[in-house]
Amino acid sequence: MAGDGLSRNLDEPGVGGRPAVGWRATLAYLRRDRSAFAGLIVVCVVTGVATVAFVDAVVFAYLSRFQVFASLGVEQYWLARTVWISPTAEVAPELLPPVGLENAFGQGQLAHPLGTDDRGRDVLLRLFYGSRIALQVGVAATLVGAIGGSVVGAVAGYYGGWVDDVCMRAVEVLYAVPFLVLVLALLSVLQARDSLLVVMVTVGVVTVPEFARLIRSRVLSVREAVYVEAARVAGLSNLAIVRRHVVPNSVAPVVVQGTLRVGTAILVVAGLSFLGFGVAEPTPSWGAMLATSRDVLLQNVWFSVWPGLAILVTVVGFNLLGDGLRDALDPRLSD
Amino acid sequence: MPDPLLSVDDLRTYFYTSAGVVQAVDGVSFDVRPGEILGLVGESGAGKSVVARSVVRLLDEPGRIVGGEVRFRDRTLVGFDEPSPDAPDPTETPPNRQPRASMLSESAMRQEIRGTEIAVVFQDPTASLNPVLTVGAQLREVIEVNRDLDRAAAREAAVEMLRAVEVPEPASRYDDYAHQLSRGLCQRVLLAMALACQPSLIVADEPTTALDVTVEAQILDLVRDLQARFDTAFLWITHDMGVVADICDRVAVAYSGEIVEQAPVDDLFHDTKHPYTRALLDSIPRPDRADRRLDAIPGTMPEAIDPPAGCRFHPRCPDARAVCTEVHPDCRAVTDGDPPHRAACVKHDAFDVDYEHSRPIEGIDAPGVDVDFTAESGGADDQ
Repeated sequence: MAGDGLSRNLDEPGVGGRPAVGWRATLAYLRRDRSAFAGLIVVCVVTGVATVAFVDAVVFAYLSRFQVFASLGVEQYWLARTVWISPTAEVAPELLPPVGLENAFGQGQLAHPLGTDDRGRDVLLRLFYGSRIALQVGVAATLVGAIGGSVVGAVAGYYGGWVDDVCMRAVEVLYAVPFLVLVLALLSVLQARDSLLVVMVTVGVVTVPEFARLIRSRVLSVREAVYVEAARVAGLSNLAIVRRHVVPNSVAPVVVQGTLRVGTAILVVAGLSFLGFGVAEPTPSWGAMLATSRDVLLQNVWFSVWPGLAILVTVVGFNLLGDGLRDALDPRLSD
Repeated sequence: MPDPLLSVDDLRTYFYTSAGVVQAVDGVSFDVRPGEILGLVGESGAGKSVVARSVVRLLDEPGRIVGGEVRFRDRTLVGFDEPSPDAPDPTETPPNRQPRASMLSESAMRQEIRGTEIAVVFQDPTASLNPVLTVGAQLREVIEVNRDLDRAAAREAAVEMLRAVEVPEPASRYDDYAHQLSRGLCQRVLLAMALACQPSLIVADEPTTALDVTVEAQILDLVRDLQARFDTAFLWITHDMGVVADICDRVAVAYSGEIVEQAPVDDLFHDTKHPYTRALLDSIPRPDRADRRLDAIPGTMPEAIDPPAGCRFHPRCPDARAVCTEVHPDCRAVTDGDPPHRAACVKHDAFDVDYEHSRPIEGIDAPGVDVDFTAESGGADDQ
């Protein structure tokens, strides 16, 4: 129609005033925000290191079981690596790396830039491998909390009434008990102080209430939106409306809160392994490394500094990224 | 006269609030015939939108349909068993009436009526589209759900519908978000969505109110074209008499939850039978009578919580007499015609209440408004 060019110019309400759409725009926003960009880089580096460690620890361990790969040297490589990080494995003497118990608490040198720990293992390498545990547990725990909380909160907010009351009062019971006490109690009751999986789920479950409350408050306003009513009159089922209209319009704060929560979860899991829960030797974890280094704190403070620094940098990185995402995804602050 | 497509009979929708029972729709009756555009006009708060929502049974708490019947073709959208004689007054407590067995279930409404037989277009086009989905995805979704097409076929049908509502470059607009389109284009997309499943009736709840007059004119042109092409009936809710004159075949005038006049569009404008409609028309500037004083209707519409006894318009009516405070007129045929001209005013002979000898009562003073209109047209804007 001839008038459309005109009408597009005359009453274009949104352009410039509306939030940009999509991850591309979010990324562009983050690049302008220097601290958030620094956070993004930290997160990317840690994720990269953790991915390499994961591939190394899991994929090669799996491949080494097969004869064909073993003959290619994969098995030898993996055994050597296991020993290097953890010399408790029983291996043939010729596969032992050139460090051992006699090198315990070694000072920094070219072969071991950050020194060796109480069993002569390379601290830098254990930090790298520890990033995998930290990230895996942090992300998995947050996903458990975010997904669980989102489902509960979305159902409660969309249906309202007694469903709302039952869901929200149920998750708020979790609020009544202090966070760490609850996690420790659950781990003890489940008699699973060594199970990483149980730690992840437990730390996730105790964060369900905050995600549930967050998404419920968004859903309460989104469900009144005209487009939700339009979807109802168009004959869509409740499930389709929640899935296609309500949840996509409510997740932005969950993404932000989730990013911030990963940092907290890493801290909590490190704290748990410091207390001896979750990650068992010889699996390297930052919290357990801190616990070990406590014994030699007066002799050599560096053993405490490195894992502590790793935790600090990672957690701050996630927090900076989370803050940046909050600004990027908030339509009121968007320019 | 063809059988009505939609027939609303004595519909009553009340809102049970803590401040009292709001009788938002109180005994509304009208028919929409296949392929016609019925205008439903009235001031804000006359209950127009509540009628629209009641027809498709999309009322949120605390709204309740407490009585009346809505039939669509041979199906019962709203219907109740007869109230028991000792039932409490519905204007005081929510009634507990049993739906008739033939009344469609909620899932039947969703699968067989909403979207497929009756579509609704809302007032604010930009708010009616989900900001995080492309307009194409939303259109495709409606087609997928209601027409049982697979994704690719639904996409094609969606682009085809965008072309039908004259969206330029439909294939590339398909991937746009609502905020990238103008309001006029958004309203076209919503019309495409409403028409997508070729419903027999579209309920349009003030679809052009949020648009500027140029775009409004384009949309009205489009609706006329589409109506001729798809033969869809419209229930067109508006407060703009100009729009009514432009596209409607028949008009129903709502006042305080009731229909006070119902007539073919020409009869309504040229042979007005109800004082409220008369007053409404007199309050609109007309380009052919630029020197005239605009007559505002004195007072405001009564609270629907506690409507006045007798005729609800009598406190503001220039023709009000004592009898008007006592008799509550129904909307009945006052001329012989087909379709009939109905009005709810006792001054007509169809009402046997001796209006002629009743004593005139003092209404509220009617201040005129001095205006200096040149050739500017406009609607009765009550927003």
